[in-house]
Amino acid sequence: MSKVEHDLTHHAKKATGIGDPQCFRGEAGPAKFKVGDRVRVRNLPDLFYTRSQVYTRGAVGTVTEAVYESPAAEDEAWDNTDKPEWFYSIVFRQKELWPDYPDLYANDTVETELSERWLEPA
Amino acid sequence: MSNDHHHPPAPMVEEVSDFEVLEMAVRELAIEKGLFSADDHRRWTEYVHTLGPLPAARLVAKAWLDPEYKKLAVRDGVKASLDVGVDWINSPPTGFGTPSDYCNLRVLEDTPTVKHVVVCTLCSCYPRPILGQSPEWYRTPNYRRRLVRWPRQVLAEFGLQLDPDIEIRVADSNQKTRYIVLPVRPEGTDGWSEDQLAEIVTRDCLIGVAMPRPGITANAQRPVRPAVRPVHHDH
Repeated sequence: MSKVEHDLTHHAKKATGIGDPQCFRGEAGPAKFKVGDRVRVRNLPDLFYTRSQVYTRGAVGTVTEAVYESPAAEDEAWDNTDKPEWFYSIVFRQKELWPDYPDLYANDTVETELSERWLEPA
Repeated sequence: MSNDHHHPPAPMVEEVSDFEVLEMAVRELAIEKGLFSADDHRRWTEYVHTLGPLPAARLVAKAWLDPEYKKLAVRDGVKASLDVGVDWINSPPTGFGTPSDYCNLRVLEDTPTVKHVVVCTLCSCYPRPILGQSPEWYRTPNYRRRLVRWPRQVLAEFGLQLDPDIEIRVADSNQKTRYIVLPVRPEGTDGWSEDQLAEIVTRDCLIGVAMPRPGITANAQRPVRPAVRPVHHDH
């Protein structure tokens, strides 16, 4: 059943004077990954909405920081804010993302954030 | 009032894009639904048009001069912003940022061997409270889809050719963190004041597509492309 009465200002009430994502701090429980962990991006279905870019799917990267807690974009898009999760900053070698990236520039990297559901140990 | 110069009725703007029509439709629906009022929208629009990149330039200049401040900026960008007059959490009219301006600023510190550059491959996420409105090119699919795949080529188009030994790190701001780049302080700036240093930290340096240089205080001109279907005035 959908919520019968929905307060359209609930996010404003929660975040005013605190900020978003700060207002979700402490709601996700312990972080599953730590700095330096190697993780693979899962190829989850994204039928309706996602902010996890397709170019990262299946790639292996390194956690540089557990950044904040927040509902995943896939949930928040539908105003489901009940289950915040940890967001991690992940750095990928360009070569890992694009196999034909020139070897001459093997040092080049991309850093982006993914929520915990998208990651598995690699 | 003289009548000798008669203009036929003509549109006030050259062209309204499909996305602008979409924005108007969504905005009007949101107002009808009561999510915000037309007055809220006016106040918000007026607020964002007061913003610009000067506070971020000041942040970089302060970080160059004060190692302790630099540590703070890298560790907690939101807190460091307070010292340059930007309160991410309390000053916007909403009091909590907006869904497109989350309150998590990360300052990416360049080193002689690492050069950061910022993009949002999804849309146009940009640290607006401290940089103002994004430049038009930042929002184009061309920049967004090419920067993650061919960063060196795109930077070369901005006039920045980097040695292969330098790691280019593209920061893709597709979740709730917003980024600015803290470039390496250039040579030839010894003894400069904070004001002098802030002048050479242009918006392009803060996005990462340029490096600060003494004497360069403006963004490079970008090509302006004509509208695909321009409106013709018959006078």
